[in-house]
Amino acid sequence: MLNLIKTEWLKIKNYRAFWWVLGITALSYPGINYIFYNAYLDITKKKDSTGEIAKMLLGNPFEFPETFHTAGYFSSFFVFIPAIVVIMMITNEYTFKTHRQNIIDGWSRDQFLLSKFFDVLVTTILVTVIYFIVAVAIGFNSSKGEGKEIWSKSYYVGLFALQTFSQLSIAFLIGFLVRKAFIALGIFIFYFLIVENTAVNILKFKGSNLGYYFPLEVSDRLIPVPAFLGKFDEKNYKLSLEAVTPHIFYTLIFTAVIWGIVYYINKKRDL
Amino acid sequence: MEILALDSIAKSYGKIQALKQVSFAVPEGSVFGILGPNGSGKTTLLSIILDVLKADGGSYNWFGRGSSPEIRKDIGSLLETPNFYHYMSAVNNLKITHQISGRGDNAAIDKVLKQVNLFERRKSKFSTFSLGMKQRLAIAAALLGDPKVLVLDEPTNGLDPVGIAEIRQLIKILKDKGHTIIMASHLLDEVEKVCTHVAILNKGKLITNGMVEEVLTVEDLVELSASNLSQLESVLQNYPGVKHLKTEGSYVYAGFEKGISNLAEINNFCFSNGIVLHHLLLKRKKLEARFFELTSNANEQAN
Repeated sequence: MLNLIKTEWLKIKNYRAFWWVLGITALSYPGINYIFYNAYLDITKKKDSTGEIAKMLLGNPFEFPETFHTAGYFSSFFVFIPAIVVIMMITNEYTFKTHRQNIIDGWSRDQFLLSKFFDVLVTTILVTVIYFIVAVAIGFNSSKGEGKEIWSKSYYVGLFALQTFSQLSIAFLIGFLVRKAFIALGIFIFYFLIVENTAVNILKFKGSNLGYYFPLEVSDRLIPVPAFLGKFDEKNYKLSLEAVTPHIFYTLIFTAVIWGIVYYINKKRDL
Repeated sequence: MEILALDSIAKSYGKIQALKQVSFAVPEGSVFGILGPNGSGKTTLLSIILDVLKADGGSYNWFGRGSSPEIRKDIGSLLETPNFYHYMSAVNNLKITHQISGRGDNAAIDKVLKQVNLFERRKSKFSTFSLGMKQRLAIAAALLGDPKVLVLDEPTNGLDPVGIAEIRQLIKILKDKGHTIIMASHLLDEVEKVCTHVAILNKGKLITNGMVEEVLTVEDLVELSASNLSQLESVLQNYPGVKHLKTEGSYVYAGFEKGISNLAEINNFCFSNGIVLHHLLLKRKKLEARFFELTSNANEQAN
């Protein structure tokens, strides 16, 4: 096991694109949160009554403990950035034919897959750490040290990690099946930005809940819209909060199925 | 002891049968050449014994212990193309080979890089290497940790004449040290010069296999010359055991059953019939000629 991690570390350590993407992620998470944070400040700092009303209505979504929820929601928009690196790390093996060489040199097919599973896991952990730092930094910045239960919503860290892992697993599956980096990236981004959004919204419009179980939406629902946005539709917000727990199970099942498929194909197919 | 035994290996790609019930055994200490034209199934065969491809039927057995990742760790292999991480240096790529196979250490990495003349470029990225350098790095990876068994698929691909000669020399040295080398090639000259055993594949079928000497000689072909060739030919017609006779250029060729020709007796027979030979030689067929003979026979049978 340690050997697998060490080997993957050698591959990652020297892979410059990985560090670039991680750097971009490290910039985009604080970036998007900062934009919304500023927008919030803009609205609420008005001296007239609108500012006060807004403050009352919205609360401060960037204060502890709500910051974990708000930052998680905005950060998750950018899951396609680490998805790029996940796709690259698997398709590289096919491009360089090192997926064969690793086996020839003495890994079993399961070990090869496990090493790739580590890649997805490590990316998830790193991305979650970045999100965590951003959430905490914003929290400390906007809270006035009222000694609230700062960590009471830190469970969003776990939800964020699960959501990220699940969505990166989808990216991995596409890279694993397609094998060609740019085609896989194209498919993932196209699906992520257009196909699912469109499909889910059409279904919603037609009054169907089926959209909730689409590959990305199933885990998107782990982190519902932040409380201050939820205020516009209280009833729906309450429902979406209640949906979190069942969706944890759906996501776990869905992600397990993805890895099950990958495991099965990897065992059977020619390299 | 047998290093590798194949039993009825079969593999199809859709309707195309890439391997048809191939069976043979590789003895310890041999340099075993797998010969065949392009598309004959050589690489498919090597891919199967390295678990990159799954056979549709049949089985293979390494060291009498079956097949497993642990067994592969002790085999230095080069399959089809040099497969390395393009963004990593030669040294780091070999570190991955070491990490996975457990063969060698840092000193051994330096040693194999020197062996293939890449030590000076050890810190250069793989993507900056020429075709020949990539191939040499792949050979270095196979040699790492001095494995007792090597599987080399077209090892001289992309190498210049000096490189080819160096690899040939290397294979001879490894053989002398008692290593077993399984080598696929379409270069007959290469196989003839270094191999002790050979298996010939054509369109996925094993045509023949055995020691190079045995495969090459189907009959004894004796080359003779004297001042009067027609007289020589007519005298030889009375020599017992001659299967066929032919005059070509300044020589007469006499064919005998494999292993029965006796040059001293032939010389004596000619002399007692008034012919003084000034050339007498038992010819070994060139692998090239034998190869074409075998593959074209197989093709005719198939048609």
